[in-house]
Amino acid sequence: MRPGEIVLEHASRAFSVKADRGRTLKEMLIGRRRAGGPAPVEALRDVSLRIEPGETVGIVGRNGAGKTSTLRVLSGIVPLNSGRVACGGQVVAQLELGAGFGRDFSGRENIFLNGALHGLSKEQIEARIEAIVDFSELGDFVDAPVATYSSGMFLRLGFAIAAHLDADVLLIDEVLAVGDEAFQRKCEARIADQIADGATLVLVSHDAALIERTCRRLIVLDGGEKIFDGPVDEGMPFYHRLMGTADEVPPVPCEPGERV
Amino acid sequence: MAYRYLFEQMVRRELRQKYKGSALGVLWYLINPLVLMGAYYLMFGVLFKVAGPASPEHYPLFLLVGLVVWIFFSQAVLSSAPSLLDQGALVRKARFPRETIPGSVVTVQLVTFLALIALLTPITIAFRGTGAALLALPLILACLFAFVLGLALAVSVLHAYFRDVAPILSAALLPWFFLSPIFFDPATLPQLSSETTAIFVLEWVNPVAPFIVAVRDVVYDGVLPQTSVLAYVVIAAAIALAGGLALFRRMQGELAVVV
Repeated sequence: MRPGEIVLEHASRAFSVKADRGRTLKEMLIGRRRAGGPAPVEALRDVSLRIEPGETVGIVGRNGAGKTSTLRVLSGIVPLNSGRVACGGQVVAQLELGAGFGRDFSGRENIFLNGALHGLSKEQIEARIEAIVDFSELGDFVDAPVATYSSGMFLRLGFAIAAHLDADVLLIDEVLAVGDEAFQRKCEARIADQIADGATLVLVSHDAALIERTCRRLIVLDGGEKIFDGPVDEGMPFYHRLMGTADEVPPVPCEPGERV
Repeated sequence: MAYRYLFEQMVRRELRQKYKGSALGVLWYLINPLVLMGAYYLMFGVLFKVAGPASPEHYPLFLLVGLVVWIFFSQAVLSSAPSLLDQGALVRKARFPRETIPGSVVTVQLVTFLALIALLTPITIAFRGTGAALLALPLILACLFAFVLGLALAVSVLHAYFRDVAPILSAALLPWFFLSPIFFDPATLPQLSSETTAIFVLEWVNPVAPFIVAVRDVVYDGVLPQTSVLAYVVIAAAIALAGGLALFRRMQGELAVVV
């Protein structure tokens, strides 16, 4: 695997959606089966894809299509039921706001924890911490407990950390939406820098404009299957038609109050 | 090891999270066992003086040394059981070696244990003297740590899938406590003097017993443990650690889904 290369081969993954999943030893010994209940959800059905280092890939689809499951499988948090997954190099995933933050710790302490989670040493983190704090624009809040943070602040902290981790693969789930416009642009610029350095980007978003600005390749998932994989300017119309949000006629520009 | 700093961070988290906001904070880790030890000393050293030809000369110290070993074992294993669930948010959302979670729990308990032993050993030496055998203590403690860590790894991953492991463990530890050679030395109990099978079971079937005996031999009696005891301690530590690690690695795949 080259750093930044991503491979999924015939990947399948299902999740049980029964209530009360925690089993007990008692149940196992007595052998009573709990019959009935909903069937497992097949989040990924025989999905194959290959991404080269430095590519920028957007993943879109309905809610429940398997986008987040794809990222969880790529980041190695959830194993596959069958098939193969591999990601080369340092994988940095932003799957949820404030994921992995200890609530009682300050932003600064969480920077150290997050860096440590990615295998960095104390010295390596100390070398970057000023840059991270600067990027986040959190100011004095970086020393407050993250339990007091808003979701926008979680994004600022989380993204600032992710942006300084020398990622070879960047996996970003729908988290950028909570950032204000200025910060979103800052994030996009930083992502562009990392891609220029050779990182691979996989971005899940419902923001079509963001995907069009950031990604060259688009993957559309539906019901756990890959139904489109190609250039983003072909993929977006396909996706809009799929969602039923395609405009039949291009909108006519007009002034407020003007009759058309 | 690339994740060395992560381990330090996990230990810090474990220390902070438990007693966060309380006035005494981290000291509570020490106070609980100290209070327990004080209570046992009061019971068996003052109120119910255990004395007689078969009982140890300085019974309170005999008891406390064994007790401290038991406290480390039972607290470490009991706290490790729910540890993966307690850190569930981290497990579900980030990728990192999950062994660091039960590992940090056991390490925090080890620090408490070492503090208590450091307190108890000079006192015991003052009353009973010592010998060169004390030099074997670090080896025995290292084996004890490995043994407890192996069990903690196994228990933590099992509990994540079978949620009654922690309650079962909790219930089992109480009779286990009384059957361990903390209050007594099986070989010297008058009621058991002819029951060689019972003595054998109490001394060897209980995997914690040889550890208690080894520490007590060195600290309280100032002699090296018997070769059989030492061998058991080393082998049990190796098996527990290897087995615990293997079980953890085998079962940890679905943790992000079940915790």
